Amino acid sequence: MSIIKPEDNISDVLKMDLNKGFRLIVEKYSQRLYWHIRRLVILHEDADDALQNTFINAWKSMGDFRNESSLYTWLYTIATNEALTLINKRKRNAAISIDELGSFFTDSHEGNTYFDGDEAQVKLQNAILQLPEKQRIVFNLKYFEDMTYEEMSKITMTSEGALKASYHHAVKKIEKILGKD
Amino acid sequence: MKNLNEITNKSPFKVPENYFEEFNRRIINSTSGLPNNIKKIGLYDRFKPYLLIAASVTILVFLSFAAIKLLGPDKNKLQLSEVVNSEFSESVINDLDISTLEENVAAGVMNEDVPDVSKTDIIDYLLKDNIEISDIYEQL
Repeated sequence: MSIIKPEDNISDVLKMDLNKGFRLIVEKYSQRLYWHIRRLVILHEDADDALQNTFINAWKSMGDFRNESSLYTWLYTIATNEALTLINKRKRNAAISIDELGSFFTDSHEGNTYFDGDEAQVKLQNAILQLPEKQRIVFNLKYFEDMTYEEMSKITMTSEGALKASYHHAVKKIEKILGKD
Repeated sequence: MKNLNEITNKSPFKVPENYFEEFNRRIINSTSGLPNNIKKIGLYDRFKPYLLIAASVTILVFLSFAAIKLLGPDKNKLQLSEVVNSEFSESVINDLDISTLEENVAAGVMNEDVPDVSKTDIIDYLLKDNIEISDIYEQL
């Protein structure tokens, strides 16, 4: 029986033992992907659903990625798509829409339980929620995760120039919103 | 109001206690036994590289054998060096027929070797063998 060591390359482990390789992927990426999804969908329950779907889809299409260097962007792409799918579903069906989430942080039980930001952070989150979908994704990835434009380009299938422009516009809008308050 | 640069970029969201440990356990359990699109490596795929090497070696051996067979010396044929000079001479003499000799004489091939003999010498030689002079003149 093979023992997985922390320094083992995930791609190598996947070739030897698919289940153990996948376990390594889940352990390595679940937190990062959760926070990425959570910033987009806001609610913990939604983030949990989207994260679960992300890993189930990743498992089902394990044959699609080639090596560990692309694994990171591949998983982020799946996670982003899952988050957007959930947001669109909520826009159509659910009682709470993304536009109503502004008051959610302070007014609801879950908002109080799973949000511990100060007043400035509440206002920042409200401002982010007012951005168009693409700008929200770019702003979150750059501002909170300090992701490079090159990586973002692979995840969003958008040129680096367009992403830089999106981030610039997003920052301007947020600063404008924050300046009003 | 604070400027964007003054607001911490630390995530303001929280998760339930031990959420990630439980999530990891849950997702691993729920995916075990679930099918995926990874191509299963069968016996043929596993041994494919070895089969290709074996096939290449077989073809190489066959081609080498064929090349030796086609381009090498024919064992059924005697080499020139293997033929003893005397045997060669005898076989050549035995194989010559009289018509070939006559052709060679007619073509003057043998003229170079024949010494210049006068008619009177020939008559003298034949008379010594008791051949009639009338017969000799008839032939000459």
